[in-house]
Amino acid sequence: MSENLYFDHAASAPRRPEVLAAMEPWMSGVVGNPAGSHADARRARRAIEEAREVVAEFVGVDPTGVIFTGSGTESCHLALAGVVQRHRHEHEHTELIVSAVEHHAVLASAELLASTFDDVTLSIVKVDSDGVVDLDQLQGMLNEDCALVSVMTANNETGVDQPMGAISGICNSMVPGGTPTHTDAIAAAAWQHLPTVTATFDLISICAHKLGGPVNSGALVMRNPVPMDAVMPGGAQERGFRGGTIDVAAAVGLAAACAASERDRITMADRCEEFQTQLVSAFSLIKGVAVTARGARRLPGHVHVTVEGVASDELLFLLDQEGVRASAAAACSSGATASSHVLQAMGIAPELARGALRFTMGAETSKSDVDELIRIFAKTVHHLRPPA
Amino acid sequence: MKILVAMSGGVDSSVAAGLLRDAGHDVVGATLKLWGGASDSGCCSVADVDDARRVAQVLGLDHHVFNYTEEFEHKVVEPFVRDHAAGLTPNPCIECNRHIKFDLLFERAERLGFDAVATGHHAQIAMRGDRYFLARGVDDAKDQSYVLGYLTESTLSRLVLPIGGMTKDQVRAEAERLGLRTWNKPDSQDVCFIEASKGRESFLGSRIPLTPADIIDVVSGSKIGETSAAELVTIGQRRGINSGGDGERRFVTRVDIASRRVEVDRLENLLVTQHVFNASSLTFAREPLRDGDRVVAQWSAHGRPKTGVLRSGTSWRLVLDEPARPVAPGQTVVFYALDDPNLVEGAAVVAAS
Repeated sequence: MSENLYFDHAASAPRRPEVLAAMEPWMSGVVGNPAGSHADARRARRAIEEAREVVAEFVGVDPTGVIFTGSGTESCHLALAGVVQRHRHEHEHTELIVSAVEHHAVLASAELLASTFDDVTLSIVKVDSDGVVDLDQLQGMLNEDCALVSVMTANNETGVDQPMGAISGICNSMVPGGTPTHTDAIAAAAWQHLPTVTATFDLISICAHKLGGPVNSGALVMRNPVPMDAVMPGGAQERGFRGGTIDVAAAVGLAAACAASERDRITMADRCEEFQTQLVSAFSLIKGVAVTARGARRLPGHVHVTVEGVASDELLFLLDQEGVRASAAAACSSGATASSHVLQAMGIAPELARGALRFTMGAETSKSDVDELIRIFAKTVHHLRPPA
Repeated sequence: MKILVAMSGGVDSSVAAGLLRDAGHDVVGATLKLWGGASDSGCCSVADVDDARRVAQVLGLDHHVFNYTEEFEHKVVEPFVRDHAAGLTPNPCIECNRHIKFDLLFERAERLGFDAVATGHHAQIAMRGDRYFLARGVDDAKDQSYVLGYLTESTLSRLVLPIGGMTKDQVRAEAERLGLRTWNKPDSQDVCFIEASKGRESFLGSRIPLTPADIIDVVSGSKIGETSAAELVTIGQRRGINSGGDGERRFVTRVDIASRRVEVDRLENLLVTQHVFNASSLTFAREPLRDGDRVVAQWSAHGRPKTGVLRSGTSWRLVLDEPARPVAPGQTVVFYALDDPNLVEGAAVVAAS
């Protein structure tokens, strides 16, 4: 029986030891409320501000632009709902534009806003067969009522990159003053240099646990000020953008994860890119297996496939039995594999999408892990798709 | 044995899983995700999946959720809607058992290396000689052999029904003993994809146009009421029908959607002496039953069985020993053996006349 072959980093990355070490002092004993004035409060406050600077450097912004949130999902929701709600107060009509392949954190938030408010309209930009945004359609959608355009930096399921410069170029040029932009960089953060890749975007969402930090720790980063209300007002922490006592451990954990991730990034990306090439070649040789968006620019750690005539549920079950941890699309709230809206938007036939699988790698993935994965995956596919 | 237990989140399947674990089997639990929409029936909602998962955790079993929403839509929900549109009265739970729970799930279990599938149904597997049969559960009030009436011997030979020999009270007691939080969970009622709070009319109305119709009393010839949805009116129905001018109850005897007309009559005029079947729907547990064979027949989940003779000829039909209320076209009749009325012999669907 193989060792644990963890190929689900994009779902959650293994917790880094340096993260644990950084968080530990803030997990027990007296942890002052950072809003207070006494010595313990000041100590806590200082830890947060130091964490804020590290996160700011990770994204390439001024520290005043970092808003700590309780998760990546909350960060995305704050961007969309916060911007839309402010916009509504000052405009008769509010438009929101998101891509068809956004994570549910963005899509569900956008849909909720459009269904809750009569004066909010949602437009969804379609994507091509690789999942890349249709720039012409985006251009046609922009108008003066637009409050925000949200396009993710790279897709969490397929790993496909979006043309960030081209997108922001369009958003800045179509309407006088430009249209504010938001990007869900949660999947991309482990692999790409955010200061470069998101340089032209106004709002950026990240979260800790995709970088080897804790869950319940994220940030909405404002590169440029965008009019935005708090969604959770509370005690007006985080300069009025996000109420609630800041979790010092979570903020410190996010910072430690960002720093470690950036330190490892290039080495990890180079190594995993070789593994990705090896996996793509090997998987392509298996009858019935197709590598998704093979020709597109993708995050180096992602390998997404479809297996014809087989259900993801069955592939995952058998892989799990052999110690391989992977996933398919997003899990819905029941825990069942949901059919992927991303693959649907890419025009992938439902029969193929039914057999979708995602393998994602990380810092500890080794060559022998990759070799084992190839062996086990081939065996599993052959079992479920016996040669005629 | 390596056994896959289908766990709905209800107390029956929870106990089934526990009993098999205690018997030393290698048990894995699976909950089927069938309906993607809202659900308050007590089966298959996210809350029910959580119950099943927690029970599996307490019992120390692996638990998986299998997504069959597409197949469920195509094989259960769409036919349900189509049948109602055509004036039939379908039984979606029977269709789900037939096509999903005891078909697709069984195939999957085999591919995944399981020796058998178990469920919490109140029914039993009986052997006569070396053949497998489905038999009633011991608790008359809860017997579910009716909804399993179409299962083939091939399926039965790979099916385990651990709680069929227990009463409901015994099942709940066992659940409590095992420490399962579902021990006093109410049984699920009605169809899992129709919200009780909204009802069938609301569900169907969201999928097809519904036809209002006049309710005509055959006895007097006059209109005695109206319905907003003829598609939901069932032959033999009394609920929602006004009494006739003579003060006697009226029952539905005919539904003509195209003419927007529902006919009702007095009970004695309604009674039939036979039920006619769709020939293609007939299934038999062992050798096909023959013209002239006597059977015990049941045509609702917990209805009282009646005796009759099977006849073939221009059409397959059951000639009843005593007149009975008509069974709506689309409904299933399950046959039990005359010499062993707990044993399922076969099933058939009542044809539209």
